Amino acid sequence: MVMSMSSQTTPSGYLLPSIHSMPPFFTQQPNPVTQANVTENWTRLILSYARHRRLFYLRVEDAETKGNEWDEVLRNERINRGLKPSHLSFIMADMVSKNLAAYEPSKQTRTVLLYWRLPEEWAEALHDWASSAAQLNTILTFYEIIEPPVPSPLSGIPATLLRRAVNILTRTNRAQIIAVTDGEGVRFLPGNPAK
Amino acid sequence: MHRLGGVGIAAFDRQNQQKRSFAELSTEISQGQVDLLHAQLSQFRNALAHYAATHRDSIRDDPQFRHAFQRMCTSIGVDPLAGPRKGGWWAEMLNLGDWQYELGVQIVDVCVSTRERNGGLIEMGELVRLVSRLRGVKGGVITEDDIIRSIKTLKPLGTGYEVLDVGAGKKMVRSVPKQLDADQAVVLAIAQEEGGRVSEEMLVRRRGWTHERARAALENMLLRDGLCWLDEQDEEHGVAYWVPSAMHWDE
Repeated sequence: MVMSMSSQTTPSGYLLPSIHSMPPFFTQQPNPVTQANVTENWTRLILSYARHRRLFYLRVEDAETKGNEWDEVLRNERINRGLKPSHLSFIMADMVSKNLAAYEPSKQTRTVLLYWRLPEEWAEALHDWASSAAQLNTILTFYEIIEPPVPSPLSGIPATLLRRAVNILTRTNRAQIIAVTDGEGVRFLPGNPAK
Repeated sequence: MHRLGGVGIAAFDRQNQQKRSFAELSTEISQGQVDLLHAQLSQFRNALAHYAATHRDSIRDDPQFRHAFQRMCTSIGVDPLAGPRKGGWWAEMLNLGDWQYELGVQIVDVCVSTRERNGGLIEMGELVRLVSRLRGVKGGVITEDDIIRSIKTLKPLGTGYEVLDVGAGKKMVRSVPKQLDADQAVVLAIAQEEGGRVSEEMLVRRRGWTHERARAALENMLLRDGLCWLDEQDEEHGVAYWVPSAMHWDE
């Protein structure tokens, strides 16, 4: 049997790295040095796939059952391998410890919010968008940011991540949170990013 | 009577003069020989320089030519890299020293960057492939022979780079100073044949090992040396071991 570890393009157009076709990549390794390498490769793969498909959440369940948005990555049908839920849970914990993800909601460890952009980077993206869309000094609801009439880099951002980004901007006086009738709104203010 | 040398003080003088003449003649002859030798040397040198200039590109770019050249050097007792000066005269004329050291650096680069994955053991063909990719198209073709030669030049650094023969004409390059025992060499040879996959059953069936011996060899490679990875989803045996250095990677 000659087996070649090669990269593959998924139906969604994502280029999987060659390590994804290596059978033991789907097993949690007993050698800690080897596992560190496996974890690092999975972390990179998860974040880059999430960015490719704009996925914000990853759940332990995604490795338990088929038919979800993570199938292409958490399984490899060609070699009949799948990531085990306990292994995914281990990788998620490692990502949280490195601030590449956060348990969301907190006080549980089955779901993470993925930081393929850090909250600080989302804050900059948010302010850039508000400036370029001529939305400075007007009041926007969270809903208007999450589901804008014209798709934006912020489209579909989870409210909790948006709140974190807004909070970062308020600290440098580039945004204010304002109570509006149906909840909360935000007013963006010009200003230079605090270096 | 007449003596040839004469007698008295005059004879003494004449003798001395003869001695001087002989000495002069001898010096003249020696000088002539030395001059001739110098001329020959400089001619040889020119011929070599001419050879080097004419064939430098072939030596650097054509692996077969390079191999033939290195064989020629060995047969006349010349090490193209050795010499009193840095890199030696040949190395200087041919830029072969730089070429060889550059190759050495590239070998180290590949070995170190793949070490996390393969535990410091890489198959020769794979090493040639990755080094070639690093050199790009302009680097010319390199061969196993070049790699082995370069690894020899790395020896004085004491980095522990070594070429291992794992049987069946397969070679591997080890870049960590770890001892491989005989059982591990068998495991590596089977992994080579199987595209990287080895199981306890394979070792028992093909080599007549006991299960304990097979398990011990594999577990050592897995846990102690990090030379193989565990696969708990193997379709045939449930558990299999994969040796990354025996797998073919396209990247």
